[in-house]
Amino acid sequence: MTTRDLVLVALFAAIMVVLGLLPPITLGFIPVPITAQSLGPMLAGCILGARRGFLSMLLFLLLVAIGLPVLSGGRGGFAVLAGPTGGYVVGWAFGALVCGLIAERLVREGQNEIAQIAAFVAAAFIGGVVTVYLFGLVWLSYATGNAFLPAVAASAAFLPGDLIKVGIAALAGRAVLAGYPLLPQRA
Amino acid sequence: MLNGLDIEGNSPLHRMPVRGKLIVLFTAAIGLFFLSDLRLLVPALGLAAALFLSTGIGIAEAFRRTRFVLFTVLLVAAANYVFVSPHEAVVVFCRLSILVLLAATITAATGISAFMDEIARLAAPLERLGLVRAADVSLAVGLVIRFVPEILARYHDIADAHRARGLPLRPLTALVPLIILTLKDADTIAMAIDARGFRRH
Repeated sequence: MTTRDLVLVALFAAIMVVLGLLPPITLGFIPVPITAQSLGPMLAGCILGARRGFLSMLLFLLLVAIGLPVLSGGRGGFAVLAGPTGGYVVGWAFGALVCGLIAERLVREGQNEIAQIAAFVAAAFIGGVVTVYLFGLVWLSYATGNAFLPAVAASAAFLPGDLIKVGIAALAGRAVLAGYPLLPQRA
Repeated sequence: MLNGLDIEGNSPLHRMPVRGKLIVLFTAAIGLFFLSDLRLLVPALGLAAALFLSTGIGIAEAFRRTRFVLFTVLLVAAANYVFVSPHEAVVVFCRLSILVLLAATITAATGISAFMDEIARLAAPLERLGLVRAADVSLAVGLVIRFVPEILARYHDIADAHRARGLPLRPLTALVPLIILTLKDADTIAMAIDARGFRRH
């Protein structure tokens, strides 16, 4: 890994911390406010690609684990990872990895804009939603025991917000690709 | 701006090696799920709370730090109360709360530098295999802590620019310039790191 890749990974982890410091965005038409932080894994995969995106989220997880208050609301430390929703936070790293793998394969620089956005939507959805939920629900089922299915049903409340984040991540990924392409030169 | 969540002190927990504390936590995480006897779980919960307070954290701060996670624990326990049985709800509540309190205890009783030393030790065998470089990990952590205030200041500049033009601050119009401006710095920072020879090749 070059020094530049190392710095990109660190800078994106820092962006992730800043996303946690921003006030939640309320969109008006859905009741759950959007916390910007779970956008991070989708953005990391779409902008940095699989390897660097995965490493930037891993670095962020390391900051959580060593006790820095980097999660939204000033949370941090092992307690968040050990709690019932810890699986989602760990899932962010693998979400960025999957998102990056798909984006690297589907997005070409010469494609038209619509095709690029569609590819980023697929990458952000499979990486940032399906993969993250998979990790989150496996840990939640371990924590909840027999009441797992109602817990799954309850987590559906977050789905509309996550779909909006997929849209934001795809448009941002396409805009960064046009303005400052990093995805084509994979690390 | 980014202060650690550790509490200064010299209790036996503070002096215990990091690896030991982590092994206890992971053993507890596995062991607790085989335990469903309330005669053991309730005293264990009391013990975990006492351990957490023994780090010198103070009750108000202890509550402030764990309330969000304990709220999700309560939700999970409530689901068990409705769909399984009241007994199961109490068991689940005790189990998860013990785990959360033990984890919060480790965070409170371990300094960031102690954690970083342990990470460097854990990375040593991986370094011999050529997978990671321990020095790179601490360099990356240092870079993040160094750049968070600057990126936050940049975000406020972008928000001010929106306000000056009478535009609403939308996620896309704020995020895209923030990301591009930040990642454009990477070349300059990388050159500065290489010029000073921080990373041996």
